[in-house]
Amino acid sequence: MPWRCQGKQGWTMMFNNLIKLPQLIISVFLLVLIAVAWLLQMDMATLFNESLVKLVMNGVLVMSLIPMLNAGVGLNFGLPVGIIGGLLGMCLAVNFRMTGFYGFCMALLFSLAICAALGFIYGLILNRVKGREEIAGTFIGFSFIPFMNFFWTLVPFQNREMLYPIGGQGLRPKISLENYFNHILDNFCVIRLGDLEIPAGLLAFFALLGLFLYWYFHTKVGRAIIATGENEAFSKLSGINISRTRLTAVIISTVIAGVGICVYTQSYGFIQLYDEPLSMAFPAISAILIGGSTGKRAFVFEAVLGTYLLQSIYLLTVPVANQLLIPELTEILRSFITYGIILYALLVRETRRDCR
Amino acid sequence: MKAKAPLNCYFNHERIVPAVFLVLSFLAWQISGLTGSFVLNQVITRFIRDGLLVLALIIPVVAGMGLNFSITVGAMAIQTSLLLVIAYNIEGVPGILLVMVIGIFLSVLLGYVLGRILNRVKGKEMITTIIIGFFVNSIYQLIFLVGFGTVIPVFNQEIILTRGIGVRNTVDLGMYRNTIDKLWLFSIGEIQIPLFMILIVLLFAGGIYYILHTRFGRQVQAVGSAAETCAVLGIDTDRVRIKVMILSTVLAALGQFIYLQNIGMFDVYTAHLNTGIISCAALLAGGASIKSAKVRQALLGIFLFHTLFIVSPQAGQHLFRNAALGEYFRSFVAYGTIALALIVNVGNENRPIQRK
Amino acid sequence: MENILQISHLNKSYNGIPALKNVNLSVRAGEIHGLVGANGSGKTTLMNILFGQPVIHETGGYQGEIAFAGRRIEFKNCSQAISCGIGMVHQEFALIPDLTVAENIKLGREHTLAFTDRLLGRQFSYIDNRHDRASSLQALRKLGIELDPDIKIMDLSINLKQFVEIAREIDRTDLRLLILDEPTAVLSQDNSWMLLEILREMSGRGIGILFISHRLEEIQAVCDRVSVLRDGELVARYEKNHIHINQLARDMIGHSVIKAAAGKRKIEARPLITFRKFSVAMPGEEIKNLDLNVYEGEIIGLTSLPGHGKLALGYGMMGLYPVAGEVWFNNERIVRMDAMDNIVKGIYALPDDRQGLGILADQSLENNIVFTANQAKNMFSRSSLFPFLSMLDHRRTVPHVEKMVQDFDIKCASFKQKVRELSGGNQQKVCIARALTAEPRLLFVAEPTRGVDISAREKILSMLIEINRTRNMTIVFASSELDELQRVCDRIAVMVQGKIFKILSPDSPEVDFALALSGETGMDDDV
Repeated sequence: MPWRCQGKQGWTMMFNNLIKLPQLIISVFLLVLIAVAWLLQMDMATLFNESLVKLVMNGVLVMSLIPMLNAGVGLNFGLPVGIIGGLLGMCLAVNFRMTGFYGFCMALLFSLAICAALGFIYGLILNRVKGREEIAGTFIGFSFIPFMNFFWTLVPFQNREMLYPIGGQGLRPKISLENYFNHILDNFCVIRLGDLEIPAGLLAFFALLGLFLYWYFHTKVGRAIIATGENEAFSKLSGINISRTRLTAVIISTVIAGVGICVYTQSYGFIQLYDEPLSMAFPAISAILIGGSTGKRAFVFEAVLGTYLLQSIYLLTVPVANQLLIPELTEILRSFITYGIILYALLVRETRRDCR
Repeated sequence: MKAKAPLNCYFNHERIVPAVFLVLSFLAWQISGLTGSFVLNQVITRFIRDGLLVLALIIPVVAGMGLNFSITVGAMAIQTSLLLVIAYNIEGVPGILLVMVIGIFLSVLLGYVLGRILNRVKGKEMITTIIIGFFVNSIYQLIFLVGFGTVIPVFNQEIILTRGIGVRNTVDLGMYRNTIDKLWLFSIGEIQIPLFMILIVLLFAGGIYYILHTRFGRQVQAVGSAAETCAVLGIDTDRVRIKVMILSTVLAALGQFIYLQNIGMFDVYTAHLNTGIISCAALLAGGASIKSAKVRQALLGIFLFHTLFIVSPQAGQHLFRNAALGEYFRSFVAYGTIALALIVNVGNENRPIQRK
Repeated sequence: MENILQISHLNKSYNGIPALKNVNLSVRAGEIHGLVGANGSGKTTLMNILFGQPVIHETGGYQGEIAFAGRRIEFKNCSQAISCGIGMVHQEFALIPDLTVAENIKLGREHTLAFTDRLLGRQFSYIDNRHDRASSLQALRKLGIELDPDIKIMDLSINLKQFVEIAREIDRTDLRLLILDEPTAVLSQDNSWMLLEILREMSGRGIGILFISHRLEEIQAVCDRVSVLRDGELVARYEKNHIHINQLARDMIGHSVIKAAAGKRKIEARPLITFRKFSVAMPGEEIKNLDLNVYEGEIIGLTSLPGHGKLALGYGMMGLYPVAGEVWFNNERIVRMDAMDNIVKGIYALPDDRQGLGILADQSLENNIVFTANQAKNMFSRSSLFPFLSMLDHRRTVPHVEKMVQDFDIKCASFKQKVRELSGGNQQKVCIARALTAEPRLLFVAEPTRGVDISAREKILSMLIEINRTRNMTIVFASSELDELQRVCDRIAVMVQGKIFKILSPDSPEVDFALALSGETGMDDDV
C-alpha cells in the first residue's frame, strides 16, 4: 500500500541519521581522550603506533562478523566457536614445535580446517534456530567453552612449554609464543618514519583480508548471500537454496574468526585458553556497530572504522585512568561502551524492522 | 481432536529433562562420595537462597518474553539499596525495612524501564535482557567503584577501599545476619530445616500460582500465546508486558535479598553476576521451556539443578583427581541446558512455518 | 425502533487514497443489517472504524460522525468498543491458541471468587474455572455444539474455531451491537443455517447485528435490510422482500466500461502445464485438489475471494509451500518443486507481496533486474574457472538494463538507484523486468497492480499483453480486480475453496462472475 511505503522511507531516513549518533559520541569522546593524553604529555607517536597494531589485532575478529551479518544470520554472539577453533590450531602448531613463519602459516592452516568443520556444525544448528540465532549463538558459545576446558585439561599434548609446570594437569591458561611466532606479523616489514613505526606487513595482511571479503561479496555466491540476508523469501523465489547459503556464510565467518584469533594471539604473545574467549564476542560486535553497521548488513569499511575508534579508546583510557588513580575505570568504561552500543543497536534495529 | 498421541505425553521435555538431571545428579552424587545429609542440607540452603530468583522467571516466560536474564538488574537494585543503607549506617530492623523499601522502589522503576525497552524489541527479548544485564552491571560498577567517595559521600568508612574511593570487594552483612534465617529452625537427625524460610519461598511460589490464575494472569497467558490477537480482544499488550517485567524485577530483588542475608557476606561486584544464568538453567532443569513454565517446574528444577551443582566438583575430584573438571562440568551443564532448550524450542517453533 | 448505530458522512482515506466516501449507514436495535461488497470496497475499513482498531487512529483517523446508542463515539482502541457493548466475530478468528475453549470464551469476563474480588480487586481476583466452564458450555449449546471446554483452541478444526468465536460473543450479556465478518465462510450449509437461526433469535432480543457475507443467499434469507458498498461508496440499499441475489451481484461489481485491450482469441493449443489434484498448503490461501490445463500462448486469469487460493499457485510452483498432486510441464512431470530447477525449466512466479517478496529494496535497479537470471541461469556472468565465483559483467548488464528501463518506461534517476526509492508502480515494472530477464516460458503473476496508480496500471497491463504476444510467453494472471482480468485474459478461472469453480470467458456478464465468486451455481447450469 502506498501510504505504508511512504511512511517506511521516512522512518529509514530518520534512523539513517540517528545511527550516526553513537559514532558521533564515540568520536567526540575519542577526541577528548586524545586531548587529555596530550595534556598529560604522553608520547603520542607511541600511542599511534600501538593503535595501528591494535587495529589489526582486533580487526580481523571484527571482520569475521561480516559474512554472517550479510547472510541475515545476525550478529555472531557465538564468536567463541571460531576463536576456539583458532586456539586449537595454534596449540597444534606449538605442540609440533613449528616456529617462525612456517609455524604461523601452519597454525593458520590447522585453524582453517578445524574452523571449517566447527562452522559447518554451528551453521547447521543456527539454521535450525532461524530468527533467534543471536541468543542461541550466545549460549552455544558459552557452553562450548566449559566443554573445551575438559579438552584443554585432558588433551595429551607433549610440548612441556604448553603444560602446567608442576602439580597441574593439562595445558596452561597462558602459553607463551616467545619461541614460536610471537609478533611474527607485527614485526614483518616495519617502516620507520622518525618516531612512527608503521607495521606494513601486518596492515598488508589486514588489507588482503579486507579485499578478499570485498571481492567475495561481488561474486555470484556473495551476491546470493547478500540477497538472502536482505530478503530471504525473495531469494527463495529466485531459486536460491537458503539453508546452504546461510551455512556457507557461517563457515566463512567461523574460519575468519579462527584466523582472527591467530592474528590477535601473535600480537598478544600468549595463547589464552580456558574461560578467556568467553566475553570476546562483545567488543567485536560493538566495534562493527560503532563503524555504522545497522546489525543487518555490514561493509569492510565499517569494520575497519569501528575497530579503530573502539580500540583507540581502549588504548587511551588505560593511561588516563591510571593518572586519575582509579585503574578499574578502564575496564568499567570499556564494558559501559561495549554493552551500551550493542543495546542501542538492538533497540534501533528492532524498531526499524517494525516499520517494514 | 485428540492432538497428542499418548507416547508423546511421556517423552516430551517436561519429563525427559528432569529425568536426565535426576540420573546425572544421582550418578554424580554416588561418585562424589558426599553423604546424603550433607547434600540435602546444602540443597535446602540453595533452595532458600535461589528459590525466589527462579520464581521471578516464570511470569515473563508465560508472557512470551522468554527467559528474563535481566533479573540481575533486580538483584543489583537491592544491592544498591543495601549499600546505600550500610553507607549511611542504618542498622537493625529499620535498616532492613529501609533496604526493602528502597530496593522495591528502585526495582519497580527499573522494571518499568525494562518493560519499555523490551516492548521495542519484540521477538528478541532474550538477547536484549542479556545485554541489559551486562550494561547495567557496568553502570553499577561505575557507581560503586568510582562514584562512592567521589561524588557520593559515604559515612561508613569501613566499606570503602583504603584509597578513599570505591566500595570494598566484600562487605560484611553482620548487622543483618541470621535475623530471619534461624526462625523456626528444626533438626531431623543431621538435616536442618529452616521452616520459616522454606515457608516464605513456598508462599511466594503460591503467590505466583495465584497470579497466574487471576484475570491478570489470564491476560499474561493470552499475550504470551498470541500478542497480535490480544489487541483485538481489548487487551493492552504493551502494558501487560511492562507489568510483567516490573513484577519479575521486584521478585528478583527480594530473591537477591534473601540470598545475600543467607550468605551473610556480600561480594559487591560478583554476587549478582551469575544469578540470571543459574536461575534460568534451574528453571529449565525442572522441565520448563522458553515458551511455558509452571511453578512446580521451578521448585523441582531448583532441587535437581543444585544437587548436580553441589556434587559435581567432588565427583570430578574423585573421577579424574581434578576438581576443576567438576567445575567445568557444572558450568557446561548450566550453559548447555539453556543452549539446548533454545535449540530444541526454537527449532520446534520454526518447523511448521515455511515462509520467513 | 431506535437506531443503535448511526453513521453519517463517514470519510476515511489512507495517505490521500480514499477508502470510504461519504458513507451513511444505520443499524436499528433488533435488526439484522446485511453488508455486501467486492474486495477493496471498504468493508474492512468500515469495520475497523466501528471496532476501534488502532490502525485507523494511527493513519490519521476519519471524518464524519458515528453515534452509538445516541452518543457520539470515537474509539481509539478495541477495548473501548468492547466496553461500549460492541462485539465482533472476526473472519480470521480472534482466539488465543494456547488457551482452552472455555478460557477463550470467557476471556476478559471471567467469573471470579467474590472473596478475592473484595480483597485484591477485579484484576487480581482468582478465577472460578468451574463457573466459567459451565457458562461457556451453555453458550456452545445455544449454538447446538457439544464441545469439551477444556480443549485448547490450537487442537480444534477450523469450523469449530468459528463456533467458539461466535460463542464468545453470544455469551456476552452486555452486547448491543454485533458485527459478523464472513462468519459462514468456513461453515457447512447446515451449520450456516443454524447460525442464521441464532442470529435471528439474538436480534429478537433487541441486539443490532451487522452481517457481512459473500453468500448472497444467506443475506437474502436473513437480513432485514442490506447495504451494498462499492469502491468506498454506499451504492444501494434494499429492504427485506426487495432483496434479489442478481441485483446485489450487479451492484457489487458495477457497470464498468471495458476497454478491450486485448483482442479476442480462442486458444486451443496443446497444454503447456497441467495440474492434476494439485494442492498447495499456503496458510490461509490453500489450494485443494485443483485440476487445470493452461494452454501454450494464452493468458489465463485466476480470481477468487481472498483466502480461496488464487495466490497460492505461483508460490507452490516455486516450492515456497508444501505441495501435493501431479504437475506436467511441457509433457514432462515435475516431481520435486524446486525453485531453481523450475526457473531453469522456464517457469517463474512474481509474488503478490511486492514489498515483502518481490524486490531487494536496498539494492540497485540493475542488481534487481538481473538477479534471478544471473543466479539461476548464470547469465551476465564473466567467465570464471568456478561459475559460482564469477562476477557480474557490467558490459552486458548495462545495455540490457537500459533497454528494460526504456521499454517499460521505468522512472528512475539512474539504474544504480535503490529500488526502495522508486514508486510502487515502478517497483512492479522492475519485478516484471526481472522476470523477463530470466526468459521464462510460463509466468505466474499475482496482483501486479495492487497499490499502483492508474497510469502505471495501464502500462503494466499492456506490458503483460505485449510480452504474451511478442515473446509467446504463457501467463497465469491471479488478481482480485475482475475488470483487469477481463481486459487482458483469454479465459478466466474462478476459484472457490481452493478449486476451480468455473471457467468463464472474459465477456461473460458481470452477474455470472459475482455468482461464481460467491460459490453459487448460476440459474440454469450446474458445474
